[in-house]
Amino acid sequence: MLDIQNLQVVFGTGRLRVDAVKDVSFHVEPGAAYGLVGESGSGKSTVLRAICGLAPITAGRVLVDGKEVTTPRGKAFYRTVQMVFQDPYASLHPRHTVDRTLSEPLAIHGEKDAEARILQALREVGLGPSFRFRYPHQLSGGQRQRIAIARALILRPKVLLLDEPTSALDASVQAEILNLLDDLRRRLGLTYILVSHDLAVVAHLCERLLVMRHGEAVEETTSTALRSGAASNEYTQSLIQASQGFTRDAQQPVRSLAG
Amino acid sequence: MTKPLLDVDDLRVRFHLRTGTVEAVRGVSFQLGRERLGIVGESGSGKSQTGRAILGLTPPPGEVTAKRLAFDGIDLLTASKRTLRTLRGGRISMVMQDPKYSLNPVMTIGEQIIEAYQAHARAGRGEARDKALAMLEAVKMRDPARVFSLYPHEVSGGMGQRAMIAMMLVTDPDLLIADEPTSALDVTVSMEVLRILDELVTERGMGLIFISHDLKLVSSFCDRVLVMYAGRVVEELEAKNLREAKHPYTQGLMRCLPTLKDDVRPLPTLNRDPAWAQ
Repeated sequence: MLDIQNLQVVFGTGRLRVDAVKDVSFHVEPGAAYGLVGESGSGKSTVLRAICGLAPITAGRVLVDGKEVTTPRGKAFYRTVQMVFQDPYASLHPRHTVDRTLSEPLAIHGEKDAEARILQALREVGLGPSFRFRYPHQLSGGQRQRIAIARALILRPKVLLLDEPTSALDASVQAEILNLLDDLRRRLGLTYILVSHDLAVVAHLCERLLVMRHGEAVEETTSTALRSGAASNEYTQSLIQASQGFTRDAQQPVRSLAG
Repeated sequence: MTKPLLDVDDLRVRFHLRTGTVEAVRGVSFQLGRERLGIVGESGSGKSQTGRAILGLTPPPGEVTAKRLAFDGIDLLTASKRTLRTLRGGRISMVMQDPKYSLNPVMTIGEQIIEAYQAHARAGRGEARDKALAMLEAVKMRDPARVFSLYPHEVSGGMGQRAMIAMMLVTDPDLLIADEPTSALDVTVSMEVLRILDELVTERGMGLIFISHDLKLVSSFCDRVLVMYAGRVVEELEAKNLREAKHPYTQGLMRCLPTLKDDVRPLPTLNRDPAWAQ
């Protein structure tokens, strides 16, 4: 479904040159969920942004459905690939109602039957028709993220790019959104690429994942391997350890990253 | 039994707004010795407002009432502004969530630590400088002299938060309130910051109030945990007995997190019972 070959993303030139992504390759099967894990500055979000055209592809190829993407991306691309952003407080227009937010992609793509599609999209993300004419400030964080997911799904894409979809939410709301994403993937046969700093979230949603650091791929592994603690790479091990919570007695396992 | 360091009885924080009165904290009581106390809750549970009320930092139009709010025998509600000023930053300090916003952007880190120290101790410039450098070393800065002369935007998040901790501990406080001290940091960095905080708190025998939304983190770091929901403490328990939590909210919070160990799906979600907020 999605093939990333030797992707490289560079911002700036000369002294200001930043190599955000260095030679990253991976392949995602149709209907699979693939995770990108890493700390801030590891380039995981930049990979997503490069796929959907929000960051430049300096070198390498991005293939969707076997075809290389064009720059700028065409309408057909956005019919196949949609994105959900991290912060639902920032990614919804504060002065647009839910109805307007959801009808915009339909209008852009010349879709008919907007009303039925909007009601269906709301149903799919577990919200009733009563939410249709609300503004974002009248919704909770979890409800906003559901709207953002509905907006991404309304064009019936095949691939959903998820950039930290739950990190701005409370733990109990995170569980609801993860369940929703899990359920939608099964029902609609979607392909996911999930970016997160939380190893447990990625292992929950994805079958395969790529650990990134400083713009480079550190290790590709499976969530099954993660669960059994079988990570060959030292950095992946330190991430696993850190996700278990604070330990008082352990010898400092993590090499200092800053400072 | 020795006198508690902090005694909070029936603390309430109200905000009188145009749309009515919002009670953010509704009758919180606890006592704190020289121990590590965690306060856990989701957004809007009143955990941060509890921490702020202790320091007298409730923003207007907030109103704080309590049957008793005493620090080391000093009544914080009736104390003069002057007394409060000597306590704040001197004997009670607070570490906030994001070092990007809590450090002064136009002052070097060293100057800020010196300022904090000189505000509470009669000390010459040379002595304050030595103290600041020693403190930067205590929070494991690799090159204290270099960090001393850097501006906050020149350091990483983890370093900024360690500088913040250095600044807060330079006056040797008896009580440290840490409000989500590591939520803005990466996991591996936050473990490092916590380890430093843990060492310093143990070494100096301070009381610590650790406020966080992360139940797992708090229980692995603190001795005792208060779980807050809708402005109330719904459960208080020893951190090591977290697994035996009785309240359905605490149990729900524990279960709804995905873990690396086992694969539960769908994840159990929290059914909020209106009775919990009563």
